[in-house]
Amino acid sequence: MIQVEDVGKRFGQVQALDGVGFTARDGQTTALLGPNGAGKTTLLRILIGLLQRDCGSVSVNGVDPARAPLQVRKDIGFLTDQFGLYERLTTREHLAYFAQLHGMDAAAIRSRIDEAVGLLALDDIIDRRAKGFSQGQRIKVALARTLLHRPRHFLLDEPSRGLDVMSTRALRRVLSSLRAEGSCIIMATHVMQEVTHLCDDVIVIAKGRTVAQGSPQALCERTGITSLEDAFVSLVGTEEGIAA
Amino acid sequence: MNKFLVVLRKELTEALRDRRALCMLLLFITLYPAMLWLTVHKTLERSAKSDKEAMEIVVIGGDRAPTLLAQIGQRNVTAALRDDMSENEITELLRTRKHAAVIRIPEEFEENYRAMRPAPIELWYDSAADQQIAKLRRLEALLRNYNAGIAQSRLLAHGVSPATLVPIRLQEYDIASSASRSAGFAGVMLGLFFATAFFFSMNTAMDSTAGERERNSLELLMAQPVRPLELIAGKWIAAAALSVVGLTVELLIAHFILKWMPLEEIGMSWSLSVPMLLAVCLTSIPLCLFAAALEIALAMNARSFKEAQALMTFAILIPMLPPIIVPLLDLKTASWMYAVPVLSNQTLLNELAKGQNLGPLPFLLTAGGAIVAAILAVGVATWRLRSERYVLAV
Repeated sequence: MIQVEDVGKRFGQVQALDGVGFTARDGQTTALLGPNGAGKTTLLRILIGLLQRDCGSVSVNGVDPARAPLQVRKDIGFLTDQFGLYERLTTREHLAYFAQLHGMDAAAIRSRIDEAVGLLALDDIIDRRAKGFSQGQRIKVALARTLLHRPRHFLLDEPSRGLDVMSTRALRRVLSSLRAEGSCIIMATHVMQEVTHLCDDVIVIAKGRTVAQGSPQALCERTGITSLEDAFVSLVGTEEGIAA
Repeated sequence: MNKFLVVLRKELTEALRDRRALCMLLLFITLYPAMLWLTVHKTLERSAKSDKEAMEIVVIGGDRAPTLLAQIGQRNVTAALRDDMSENEITELLRTRKHAAVIRIPEEFEENYRAMRPAPIELWYDSAADQQIAKLRRLEALLRNYNAGIAQSRLLAHGVSPATLVPIRLQEYDIASSASRSAGFAGVMLGLFFATAFFFSMNTAMDSTAGERERNSLELLMAQPVRPLELIAGKWIAAAALSVVGLTVELLIAHFILKWMPLEEIGMSWSLSVPMLLAVCLTSIPLCLFAAALEIALAMNARSFKEAQALMTFAILIPMLPPIIVPLLDLKTASWMYAVPVLSNQTLLNELAKGQNLGPLPFLLTAGGAIVAAILAVGVATWRLRSERYVLAV
């Protein structure tokens, strides 16, 4: 469970976050919706302890990432649209590298990699170097890396950006099974379809503030608009939507 | 396993699989000793030439002045006798630069000589041919001597002491040999030994920082449960390791080349024993550490490999400057020099090559200075990686 209360963050003249608060529960996928520049990436970076908040409180399963960033990161799977593969390493070496950074021992690494190969159908690329991998193969490797240390929490920053239909479906399948296993997933996204299909809870942030939190249906009901996209626009305020 | 070792192993694996970087490494390892060999070899060749080589000239109408021919023969000058040549032919001949000059003794010489009127002798030369200038000076002096000799014997025949014509006697001592002049250049080459430490680590230092940013994998890496210092240290030692291997191999190759060449002939020496050579290799390790640390601290600020290459110019400048500037300043070896990285290694090697017994202090200072500099650079890099500003820029 990830709890965020009244978090603020300022970069010089810019107030990036100005009182964000929400709770992301275990066994749920929570969407982080907001226009570009609303502070989604800043928020995710605070959650993983790369940035320090100015005020408010954050708890990832009871641990404050500002105090114990390494402990928090051990329990987080972090995935962005940049898969960051190393061209001269094979998939197996790549996975082992990150597993070792998580402090896993050799036996555990071997068995988890075997599991991942089965789960994501990596057989054909597991011992190939990443140079020349297709986008679909890249997301599979990145997903395997995110899952390998079996974190309870997942922070995903627009993971489906630039993916084709098949890769997007593979991603969604994995996310569904993670949710079923009781993981706590926070996903920043712009794709409304993804939100309605995958997410149990939606947090709308704009201008660094939480504007609304609730299930997709609840948000639609609250605004009195049937389409989630229109509901989102009315929650954010059209003016800012256009400006952004 | 220690996370520092995890990072180190991964960076080394990647570096050793980078064919382009390995080729560069191999090139620099062999290129530098090859250049050194060529420089010293050329210098040796030149010094052997200018000391022993006889001057070759052409004399036209030599039979008209047998005394002159005899004197020319005594001064290690080979005169090729020719019959009359036209001006164009002489010009053509000099253009080939085989002969330092052409002396033409015209027909009227004998008549004038006998009548004790100034007898004409023509000296043809090409002042655009730089290598011939010194020989020409020798030839002119020879002709002046010939002239003075005749004058003196004529005065003697008239009962006047020849000493009247010689109010002063100038004796010239030129101690410069072409060898000592070019030995300076070989000395600079020796100084550039250590600049290569910066080349060996460069590719890995750039690839593991700027390259990581270019591939967008750095943010991901920073989001792993690993401390900034562990990340920097792993990348640092990986780059430094390549530098250590490269520099050591290069030093060993250069050692055997210099050991085997007759350096005494050009006023240089290389009297380094094997234990001393190993000591030099050991004290160069901190330099490699410093080189890699500096490059990491610089390259991590670049967004791409290309940008990093531009920044590396600074990193290269640091080792290049001391070997070039210090010989120009003509400084005496002083203790402070041993505390300045690169300069210290250069000074140490030069002093050891001369066969000096230095004691432990210069070695300790050389190693210590570079270690302090390396730690500073690593500190800056770690602080930078930890800073929010850097996280935002990644």
